[in-house]
Amino acid sequence: MQYTPLHDEHVADGGKVVDFHGWALPIQFTGILDEHAHTRTKASVFDCSHMAEFTIRGRDAIQAYSGLVCSDVEKIVPGRGRYGMMLNDSGGIIDDLITIKLAEDELYVVTNAGPAARVAERICGGNPGAEDVSAHTAKIDIQGPLSREILVGEGIAEAGSLKYFQACRAAWRGTELIVSRTGYTGELGYELFVANEAAPALWRALRAHDAVRPAGLGARDTLRTEMGYLLSGQDFDESRTPLEAGAESFVAWDTPFTGRDALLEQRERGGYPLLSGIRTGDRRAPRPGFAICLGDESVGTVTSGTYGPSVGHGIGLAYLQQDVAAPGTGLNAGPKHIAVETARPPFYGQGTCRT
Amino acid sequence: MFPAECRFTKDHEWIRDDGGQHTVGITAFAAEQLGDVTYVELPEPGSRLSAGDTAASVESVKAASDVYAPAGGEVCEVNEALDGKPELVNQDPYGEGWFFKLSDVDADELEQLMDAAAYEQFVGEHSE
Repeated sequence: MQYTPLHDEHVADGGKVVDFHGWALPIQFTGILDEHAHTRTKASVFDCSHMAEFTIRGRDAIQAYSGLVCSDVEKIVPGRGRYGMMLNDSGGIIDDLITIKLAEDELYVVTNAGPAARVAERICGGNPGAEDVSAHTAKIDIQGPLSREILVGEGIAEAGSLKYFQACRAAWRGTELIVSRTGYTGELGYELFVANEAAPALWRALRAHDAVRPAGLGARDTLRTEMGYLLSGQDFDESRTPLEAGAESFVAWDTPFTGRDALLEQRERGGYPLLSGIRTGDRRAPRPGFAICLGDESVGTVTSGTYGPSVGHGIGLAYLQQDVAAPGTGLNAGPKHIAVETARPPFYGQGTCRT
Repeated sequence: MFPAECRFTKDHEWIRDDGGQHTVGITAFAAEQLGDVTYVELPEPGSRLSAGDTAASVESVKAASDVYAPAGGEVCEVNEALDGKPELVNQDPYGEGWFFKLSDVDADELEQLMDAAAYEQFVGEHSE
């Protein structure tokens, strides 16, 4: 099991620690519903130090990296980040990621824990300008409508001017950090990348604010599911393509990237299953692995599903045959055939992430 | 730690004689394991259950699981308050968070269930 630099903080806070892709991480502190509501109304800190980060420096290195990602890396404006996916030759999704252009000749790439080894091999293999900085980088997400004023109050003035999906270098009490106005909750928020040694002090300083509480993986999951955000390894893996995952808008067709030919062929052929939102009419939840049926006929499978605390009903994501994927289609889910209806995410529309 | 007036199952239900009728719920240990309860499906009043029958189901944010009848009997009342306030299961598992009541319970079947001391030991052996 791997431990983040914040492990002792979580234990002291009473966090219930679980194994997440080989990392010991808190699933909850006071309770998922509490932490979820707190994030939507105030601000929560999440330890995401298990995630992977890479720096890519120089024109050639950036160009080599661009060929690994289906979004248009070259067109990212300095100071901005862009969502994308790394594909295999068959168009299967190895991981999703965010590419931040810190400067004209410098990228910062953030990927997930599960496929980190495979991703590192792809990004760094044969690319001397690429470096895996995960081992000495901690990541603290602060998310919630009050997160801006908290960071500004901590002297990170840049947080006051960053717009959604903008990022920059900054400093906190003399420690260098990267601040990105991104997140996984739908709320106004930031991801802070900092050296391992500095992480506990930064965590404690944020935590000391009355409005800030720690939140675990459980709330992170309900928050992201309400937004319809995908979870790597759960909503997709290498057996699914960006077209199936509903991520076609992140595919830059006019750029060269690994997996492009296979995607073009799939687009041409059509008829692939499509990741779609589903909702129940009551508090029951669809669960990952539930079969989705139209009457008795199986038409898909649930990949994510939970009770949505801010919407008050069950929500989920499911790969569905395209002929039943249109919003408003009545279906049933799981062994008890609970009634579900297809619905277009986000399920929760009042998120503050763009404000 | 567990109420002495209840009997317990290995599936973490409790049953208590409330003067002829028997009240059934899930233990504080089960509620803690489930986390925040978000939905409870209760049996039909009037339905007849045998010991071990699936009687109810409980969903939390994290998981869903079935609740079994600790003993046979007829469902004479269900806790409709759980419909709007499933969190009662977490807040007061032996009180306001009860699930349903059984009549005509066979006392011999109750004898086969664990008492509080035995259940406490069972939980100790089966957690972590």
